[in-house]
Amino acid sequence: MSSAILETGGTTAAMRRDFWRGVWRVMRRKPSRLAGAVILLGFAFMGVFGPMFHPEPLPRDPDEIYAPMSAEHWFGTDGQGRDVLAQVVTGSRYVLLSALVTAVITVVLGTAIGLFSGFKRGRWDTVLMRLTDMKLTIPGLPLLLVLSTVWSFGSAVEMGLVLGLLGWGTVARAVRAQTLSLRERGFIEAVRGLGLPTTHIVGRELLPSMAPYIAMSMLITVTGAVYAQVGLFFLGVLPYEADNWGVMLNLSVFGGGALTTTAALPYMLAPLLAILLLTLGIVLVVDAMDEIFNPRLREE
Amino acid sequence: MTVIARRLAGHLARGIAMVLVVATISFFIIRNIPGDPIAARYQKLVEQGMSPEAAERATAVMYGFLPSGTLWEQYVDYMGGLFRFDLGVSVTNPGTPVTTVLGEAAKWTVLPVLTGTLLSFLLGVTMGVYAAIKRSGVLGDLLAISGSLLHGVPQYVLALLMGAIFTTLIPVLPPGGTADILFEPGFNAGYIGSLIEHATLPVVTYALAGYGGWILAMKSSVVTVLGDDFILAAELRGMKRSIIFRYIMRNAILPLFTILAISLGLLFGGAIFIEKIFNYPGLGFLLIESVTNRDYALMGGAFLIITVAIVVANILADLFYTVIDPRVRSGAEAAA
Repeated sequence: MSSAILETGGTTAAMRRDFWRGVWRVMRRKPSRLAGAVILLGFAFMGVFGPMFHPEPLPRDPDEIYAPMSAEHWFGTDGQGRDVLAQVVTGSRYVLLSALVTAVITVVLGTAIGLFSGFKRGRWDTVLMRLTDMKLTIPGLPLLLVLSTVWSFGSAVEMGLVLGLLGWGTVARAVRAQTLSLRERGFIEAVRGLGLPTTHIVGRELLPSMAPYIAMSMLITVTGAVYAQVGLFFLGVLPYEADNWGVMLNLSVFGGGALTTTAALPYMLAPLLAILLLTLGIVLVVDAMDEIFNPRLREE
Repeated sequence: MTVIARRLAGHLARGIAMVLVVATISFFIIRNIPGDPIAARYQKLVEQGMSPEAAERATAVMYGFLPSGTLWEQYVDYMGGLFRFDLGVSVTNPGTPVTTVLGEAAKWTVLPVLTGTLLSFLLGVTMGVYAAIKRSGVLGDLLAISGSLLHGVPQYVLALLMGAIFTTLIPVLPPGGTADILFEPGFNAGYIGSLIEHATLPVVTYALAGYGGWILAMKSSVVTVLGDDFILAAELRGMKRSIIFRYIMRNAILPLFTILAISLGLLFGGAIFIEKIFNYPGLGFLLIESVTNRDYALMGGAFLIITVAIVVANILADLFYTVIDPRVRSGAEAAA
């Protein structure tokens, strides 16, 4: 009895080693994917430790207003003479934290609703999917703008909460579709035949099969969340947060006139570059994950 | 025909439900405005010596909203107003009904959005065919990468970069507005030239923002069609390449028409960033301005009209697809 347990323990450990070897192989074949992982780790490091290297609030220098790019100020300074790069670094914590909250809420809610809907089917399924359809049709950005007049969801957690509560529709639809197709497969039927409880079927059989998809949609949600919250602050409908990428864009365009004079241009380009770099990192990592988890794409 | 009629009825019912939901959201938001400007206005009018009834009527005209009464009375009054196309009066444009302001703004959204979308559709679809046929070559790779990049980047990033290039670094295009004030609005060369000049950046940005999606959708659609047996049969019969090309196009483009109709609806809401950045007074610009100025009647109206555009586009997309694709039509009739 005990030897059997030991044996299965041994095989899972071996499987895990194989998995990491596969990950390494996928990463090594296309170095761009490794770059993606490095970019994401870099952003995570910046969000966690970056603000520690800069004083709060950032020093102002009245002699250096809209200073051009230089060795001292890589991306120049803003209208108050504060270093732009330092603002991008200190602002990254807000961006990443709220995006993480959004992604967690979206994925947990979407997966739960999709699983429930697809597994139960019947009346609950109809009601939930009608609701999802309706949510998907209501224009998201206008709704956020209108909502901002009664609730200024400025803090990172509130922002994540709002975007997450509005965003679970797509994930729920996809998870439901997968549940519907998986539940008819042989292995689920076998488990049901063994008389194992629903919690086992859902937790041990259905969820692991969908885990790669869920992980990938979580990363994709992060990009969407970053776009949405930077956009909202850029439009200037929320109370200003200090050192926020969206606020930087807003001040550079509508305050510094970055679309008419070159002085404020680096101030506008720095957060844009940060967004593009973050997107690039996520796209590359999703591409790598796709190949790791999808056996059909795997080239041996 | 009855099948189409039944589908249409279902769509209309769902569309009306949608509009009601959005109007209800607007209602509750207006009712929960911090500081309650409606009640404040009513109080002020009463203090100025107006009778309570007259003050109530004046406030109701102003906001399209009853200042007092129970929740239900206010709701019925608000919804009743909507059915009479009475959305209240804009505060930022004193004395102008919201419907007039919306109509004026819609003019500036519809034409550029339509031009930009059709431009990106034509360009993306053509390039998508090449990307599919040459998918193993360098050209195909480049096209697919350009598509993914443009599709993934948010609209405001594109708009800001376009602005930075064409108005700041190489100032060849005007940074915002609809036309130079130098010209008399009307049908004269100077004014129309200025209109086109000012519309160029917004239109090109719409086109760029849409292009990526089209090229990716067309590519995958063409790849699917290329695997079909009738293409192989056509090749085996030695048909001319141009005819085979037409076969591919006609079959591959079908699903894209549906996306085209839906995206036209979505663009009314999606135009917010582009209109704000290029200072273009369309519906999206109006929505953001009304939110910033706390012009609640206007805000509710703009939100509603953007939703209606999406609902109508969805219905059109479905109907259009039924009409254009004989397989769907006969399939539906066979099923009925």
